Amino acid sequence: MGSTGTINAVIALALIILAVLLAWPVPRLMARTQMFRHSPRAALFAWQSVTLGAILAALAAAPALAPLVLFDGQEVWKHFAILMLAGCASGLMLARLLVAGHSIGRRMRVLRARHRELVDIISLQPQPGSKLRVLDHPAPTAYCLPGRESRVVISQGVLDAMPPKAFAAVLAHEGAHLRARHDLLIEFFSVIHETVPEPVRCGVAMSEVRLLVEALADRASVRRVGALPTRVALLTLSGSKAPVGAMAAGTGSTAVRLDLVDRAAPRPLLSGVIYAYAAGLIALPLGLLALAWS
Amino acid sequence: MPTSSATPRLGDLERAVMEHLWTSAETHPEGVTVREVLESFEGERDIAYTTVMTVLDRLSKKELVTRVLDGRAWRYLPADTREALTAQTMRRTLDDMDVTDRRAALMHFLDGATESEIEDVRSALAEIDARPRRGIRLPGRRR
Repeated sequence: MGSTGTINAVIALALIILAVLLAWPVPRLMARTQMFRHSPRAALFAWQSVTLGAILAALAAAPALAPLVLFDGQEVWKHFAILMLAGCASGLMLARLLVAGHSIGRRMRVLRARHRELVDIISLQPQPGSKLRVLDHPAPTAYCLPGRESRVVISQGVLDAMPPKAFAAVLAHEGAHLRARHDLLIEFFSVIHETVPEPVRCGVAMSEVRLLVEALADRASVRRVGALPTRVALLTLSGSKAPVGAMAAGTGSTAVRLDLVDRAAPRPLLSGVIYAYAAGLIALPLGLLALAWS
Repeated sequence: MPTSSATPRLGDLERAVMEHLWTSAETHPEGVTVREVLESFEGERDIAYTTVMTVLDRLSKKELVTRVLDGRAWRYLPADTREALTAQTMRRTLDDMDVTDRRAALMHFLDGATESEIEDVRSALAEIDARPRRGIRLPGRRR
């Protein structure tokens, strides 16, 4: 019986270490690994996995200790206290996440609805039944309001500055966001980002995820309209006055996205490796928990 | 909390009423009454007096419309020109990128951008807004 107890304690400890690793160094390393950007869809899976993996590992630590109490009759009370403590920690964490998720989600929907109503009023006369709203302003801008009643908002500046094909690229980009519900992905990461305590919060992870989501929509635009119009759209909307060559040599996000547009060809092998990595991140805490209960 | 899908007709009316307020702001700087708005829709839309009142009430709650008491009737005025509101909205979408949940509420084309890049776009926008626009643009004018 004693050895079972040791194994359980070791597994619980391993789960805690795993949670810490997945919450702190792993995301920071991933944000620096530029290879992920060449397969944005798989990379976003990996980002979800690392986040879920950390949560699972932290939540599983208490249940991993449970067999100790249930099957070891000798020191029930000592273990019981530890288990209760661990259980409370897990419960609190889960509750915090759920509450934050609920309130952030609601706040976002209110903001969206308000913004949609405003845009519906101040935009130029829309086509009946169209989601597209044009703001009468010379500065080029484009964004979308996701949700059930979605909108794609562009400014007159986009229509004035862009050739029709680049405009089509903007629409393809925003359409990809709306169709694939990228907002839910961003919402998920925003909830985690807002919920974790400030010192653990990983700003680079959040910006990397945002970049990947944009890169994913850029890819949809490349597939639908082509690489060149997508580049023109990117350059116009980033407000860049620099020539294309100088821009691409820069280090900002526009430069990164331009570079990724040029390498939008699928990389099946890389994607496969990243998907396997993502699956491993989820399988590890679950496997450890299963081991504790076997 | 704004109601979303239940009021497409009301949203359409809000737009039409706002357009009317913008176009009449030049000729009626003192504002217009519910009756006057209703009369402007005559032959175009078949709506009730109370509906116009509801719409104007909603618009003033959204701070798009201000009202002043003139004798026994309220006179309604657009809170700002369409241009000013548009410029303000564009500025806000960029300012909101500083706050995580507001940033996530709408998905900006530049969402992947860094702080300094957003700052560049912001100052470019401010520069454009500071420039006088070519030609005389009446409030609410359509292209």
